[in-house]
Amino acid sequence: MSTVVNPNAPGTGPREAAPAPVTGRRSAKPLMSDRARSERKLGWMLAGPAFIVMLLVTMYPILQALWDSLFSFRLTDPGNKEFVFLGNYATVLSDQVFWRDLGVTVLITVVTVVVELVLGFALALVMNNAIRNTRGLLRTAILVPYGIITVVSAFAWFYAFDITTGYINNWFDWVPGIGPDFNWFSNTWSALFVIMASEIWKTTPFISLLLLSGLAQVPSEYTEAARVDGASWWQRMSRVILPNMKAAIMVAVVFRALDAFRIFDNIFIMTQGQYGTETLSLLAYRTSIGRLEIGLGSAISVILFVCVLLIAFLAIKVFKVDLAGAGKGR
Amino acid sequence: MSTKQKVGWAVVSVLVLIYALFPVLSILMTSFKTPADLTSGKFLPTQWVGENYAAIFVGSARDLFVPSLINSIGICLIATAIAVVLATLCAYAIARLDFPGKKMILTVALAVSMFPVVSIVTPLFNLWRQIGLYDTWPGLIIPYLSLTLPISIWTLTAFFQQIPWDLERAAQVDGATTWQAFRKVIVPLALPGVFTTAIIAFFIAWNDFVYGIGLTSTEAARPVPAALAFFTGASQFQDPAGAISAAAIVVTIPVVLLVLLFQRQIVSGLTQGAVKG
Amino acid sequence: MTTTSHPHRAPGRRRLSAAAALGAVGALLMTGCGDADAGATPTLTWYINPDAGGQAELAQQCSEESDGRYNIETSLLPRDAASQREQLARRLAAGDTSMDIMSLDPPFIPELSEPGFLSPVPGDVEEATTQDVLAGPLEGAMWKDELVSVPFWANTQLLWYRESVAEAAGLNMDEPVTWKQIMDAAREQDKYLGVQGTSAESMTVWVNGLIKSAGGEIIENPEAPADEIVIGMDSDAARKAADIVGTIGRDGLGGPGLPTADEGASMNQFQSDDGSFMVNWPFIYAATAAAVEEGTVEQSMFEDIGWALWPRVDEDQPSAPPLGGINLGVGATSEHQELAWEAVECIVQPENQAYYFVSNGNPAASEAAYEDPEVREAFPMYETIRESLDQAAPRPQTPYYNEVSTAIQQEWTPPASVTENTPRETSAFIEAVLKGDQLL
Repeated sequence: MSTVVNPNAPGTGPREAAPAPVTGRRSAKPLMSDRARSERKLGWMLAGPAFIVMLLVTMYPILQALWDSLFSFRLTDPGNKEFVFLGNYATVLSDQVFWRDLGVTVLITVVTVVVELVLGFALALVMNNAIRNTRGLLRTAILVPYGIITVVSAFAWFYAFDITTGYINNWFDWVPGIGPDFNWFSNTWSALFVIMASEIWKTTPFISLLLLSGLAQVPSEYTEAARVDGASWWQRMSRVILPNMKAAIMVAVVFRALDAFRIFDNIFIMTQGQYGTETLSLLAYRTSIGRLEIGLGSAISVILFVCVLLIAFLAIKVFKVDLAGAGKGR
Repeated sequence: MSTKQKVGWAVVSVLVLIYALFPVLSILMTSFKTPADLTSGKFLPTQWVGENYAAIFVGSARDLFVPSLINSIGICLIATAIAVVLATLCAYAIARLDFPGKKMILTVALAVSMFPVVSIVTPLFNLWRQIGLYDTWPGLIIPYLSLTLPISIWTLTAFFQQIPWDLERAAQVDGATTWQAFRKVIVPLALPGVFTTAIIAFFIAWNDFVYGIGLTSTEAARPVPAALAFFTGASQFQDPAGAISAAAIVVTIPVVLLVLLFQRQIVSGLTQGAVKG
Repeated sequence: MTTTSHPHRAPGRRRLSAAAALGAVGALLMTGCGDADAGATPTLTWYINPDAGGQAELAQQCSEESDGRYNIETSLLPRDAASQREQLARRLAAGDTSMDIMSLDPPFIPELSEPGFLSPVPGDVEEATTQDVLAGPLEGAMWKDELVSVPFWANTQLLWYRESVAEAAGLNMDEPVTWKQIMDAAREQDKYLGVQGTSAESMTVWVNGLIKSAGGEIIENPEAPADEIVIGMDSDAARKAADIVGTIGRDGLGGPGLPTADEGASMNQFQSDDGSFMVNWPFIYAATAAAVEEGTVEQSMFEDIGWALWPRVDEDQPSAPPLGGINLGVGATSEHQELAWEAVECIVQPENQAYYFVSNGNPAASEAAYEDPEVREAFPMYETIRESLDQAAPRPQTPYYNEVSTAIQQEWTPPASVTENTPRETSAFIEAVLKGDQLL
């Protein structure tokens, strides 16, 4: 979730000249430094608990994972725990399973984000231009996929496509290659198609809402001026609207990409990663929780974490996306 | 608007509705099918039955589903409440007070929200089993904070920055006490933001699957998304599609209700800071 | 699991705890003693695999029979065997004191037994519970020549067939048949064979059955440490197995659903007009009867069902049908191990096994249960099941079963991709994974 082009970006917003401290702590003392000091103290007292909780629930586990990843340790073989330093990383990085899963993860990320961007933009345009009495209805409708549990969505798509419980094969048997005998989940491409479709369905609403707010930021005078100048719809889109939404689009893309990179729930439900549909999250889960290989699994977890960091870093440094000024949560 | 345009909008609206609701309808239909009907290859049930709902509320899947529903509701509500309280304090400080490290707190929140959950579930499992939090409510509530806190902080900070805090002082000038000014002026302004944040945080906690399967193992704490993977048919080899679908619909009802009632608030919360209000 | 450590219980269980607490108060009043726990009935937790409610019934029955010595509560495990193992192993490794009684899938028992997670079976319990256990299930309960769990029920796959198809194909089903014969028959009659080709435990069940029937072994030295285990799949037996799996896949004999077919999907196909022969567990008989009652399957289809022993790989060598079932074990960290074993002894009584067989469709491990008239009435194929259980071969018993099985599932699916090279590749793959050189 992110705020796009937030003029009052938290922490940078214009401050009142004479800061009015918190209710009940108003001091008559004119001494600014005292006042600033107490405000500083209060600030941390209020913000501190949330900050510490966030650090504890994530920093501790990731440091622990880093430590565990240096050992060969199987939960059901506690006697043979052994320090292997970077051995687990060598095993993971030299294994084609890892690279295949990385490839699948990247593929899913790229395809879903691109499709969602196009689809989300179309939805945003519809919502932006919809007549007043359907706007609420449309927004309500697209919030359903946003709010629905991913696992539920995965089951819905799975049962629709599955060869025993599904009806899609009957509906689309006029499409070449699809018929009652087509088994969607028996090969990589068709299985990935369904997985990506469910992911796109579930998360496009979020991206379209971000783009909708981006659209609202484009000054209407610009589009009006272009219209007066006789610019076509396409020219207005490509020359006026899109360039003015660049920041919004970039933020939406980065947040969705980071989210898609961690895809787990729907694949777990639909294929458990069989037939070449496994992603890094599934591999990490299967190794550390399925096989109980804590060391090896932690190494994969750490690598997954580093990948996410890299994407965020690239976004911030290379594409100059102002996440901190603009973004919030997934 | 011309008739042609009206028709065009109607068509577009229907398309969007189909897009948004079709998969939900699909699983709704599955939930009304008999076991044999599941393989019919048809969208609609040939014979409408409520046996799948009976199975999860009074039948064979009751002991699996009902406790997990209670767990899900309880754990998500508590995790949401804690997150919103902590985030309200934090966001208030960020929006109103000047202290060093504000930006860092927001950056950390952003970083936490990008964390791959799978990466932390194993170390948490190891810690939880040592300190006895494995398969307990607190054992899920604490990690859920990693999902709900960051988003709550960001949303609320954006909300709070739009509150005209001067009103508070104005009220005081008019003779209200500090507490009155806060209660009568600021609280009504801040409450919608807090409420919206709570809904969004609840959605996120409600959606969790990885913590649910990784950190629980019995009905003592197992939430619904994890429990869905445990359903069975009449024997362990038979397809539980009917019961799963019924349970899936039941857990979707709160989502739909919240969306219907608070559509405007949710949208503004999700895009807060961009579109005003 | 003590009452105090879990403040947030589901209401049903809270009621139970409340009842237990009431009992404790009552005892307190009667004895006038200060210790609140004195006189309270210890609660044993039984981790059960999903069934039709039979284990919960037996738990209640044995609790009542114990005269207040113990009270058994059940706690449900996930649906598939691998996830059951995952949950149990994690709890056992965590030193959970609530692991009183566990329903265990036999192939995963060595992994839990090896690090000492399981309480040793007391001599008297062993004597009382293994007297009349059939050979296959008994073998599946052993690890390193010791009994480490007690067979509760035993499963085995039969060859189910449509009498009309067998007749049309001219097969004499009174004689043992081979895989080649049923494949030819399905091809000629243009019908589908029912086998489980999905990438799940059922794939290992099939592969192991084929290799064992051909006289081979998946693991040659199952008791060896991980890096010394020798996989015996680079063998003629395994290549015969690969030929059968691959041919069924490539020739489409298993139907279009084969790459994702589990036991339930196979049954659905068998019930349809495409059904011919199917290897599957006996649950399908009760399930098909229920479908007839519901009106979704024709009575004539039900009457067309025949059964025989699992098909042979070699004409002159008896088949080694797959063995499944559930054994009961007791956790080494349980606080009530003696009581738990007492409860296990109660649960596995032959009459309970017979009752469970009839009510839940899961075949008994005890020979005596097959004498029960109700069993004989509900499962007319009881004779075949018992014979199959005597002949059945367990899956490889090793602490690394999960790795071995997952590797087989990956290498042997989809069935159409299986070639004569698959066994050799599987061998190399498993060995590399066990040495820690490769991911799974």
